[in-house]
Amino acid sequence: MALLALQFAEAQNPEGIAALGLNLKGFLFQLTTFVLLLLVLKRWVFPRLVATLEKRREVLERSLVQARQTEEALQSAESKASELLRKARLQADAALEDAKKQTEAIISKAEAVAVERSERILKESESQLEQQSIKLREQLRNELAELVVLTTEKVIERKLDDKNDRALIESSLKEMAR
Amino acid sequence: MSKLSRRQLAIYAATQLLNGQPMKAVAQDLSAALVESGKQNEMELLISDVAWELENRGIVAQATITTATPISESLRHHLDKFIKQAAGVDNVVTKEQIDRSVLGGVRIETTSHLWDKTISRKLADIREVF
Repeated sequence: MALLALQFAEAQNPEGIAALGLNLKGFLFQLTTFVLLLLVLKRWVFPRLVATLEKRREVLERSLVQARQTEEALQSAESKASELLRKARLQADAALEDAKKQTEAIISKAEAVAVERSERILKESESQLEQQSIKLREQLRNELAELVVLTTEKVIERKLDDKNDRALIESSLKEMAR
Repeated sequence: MSKLSRRQLAIYAATQLLNGQPMKAVAQDLSAALVESGKQNEMELLISDVAWELENRGIVAQATITTATPISESLRHHLDKFIKQAAGVDNVVTKEQIDRSVLGGVRIETTSHLWDKTISRKLADIREVF
């Protein structure tokens, strides 16, 4: 009705807004259309759209929360893992150090045993050499004595004549008679 | 008789000889004793025992004189004198033997004495010392 009224007014009076170049009728028509569209959208489209958007928003929000939680869990796991790794590294270092010390102890003990054994062997060898030396010296002395005696025998056998032998016997008798 | 020892037989023989029993009779007694006891192989030992007994009693000494060269009469006389004095006997029966291995000097052996003044003995002593 208003529309009709307006159309009529315009037709009757081209002055006022039309003088400015604006089409009031059109404008009002468009406005009405817009309002109607708005109402329709508001009544049937917007709620669904908003609901859908809201759902999507909620999903997104949930996803974000989950992602945040996952990230937190991941960070926690990572920190736990790094802590475990650190502890394991420390234990490994300690075990390595311990093994190193034990190895050094074993090596030094083996060295000491080897030194002691070599010293003992050296002493035994020295003792054996000493004994062998004594034995050889004794042998040499015996052989020398034997040689001297044999030589003396040979010399006396050749040199001692009857006269000297008689003198020797008489001298022995005198000695025994004393 | 068969239970008598060699020593007892020797004492018996020495006593009989000193008492003037003839040697032949004493020898027969000793032979019988040996045969009866089955000790004929101990004859030499018995003779040594009798000699020892006689020497021990100062009657007679049986001496073996060993030298490298033959000894003269005067030296023999000196040796007899020495043996009588040293062994304490009235008589000496000597047996001489030459042994070049003694080299020089003299060795006198009786049943109970030994005097060794040979050069071989001295060399053996030197060997011992070394």
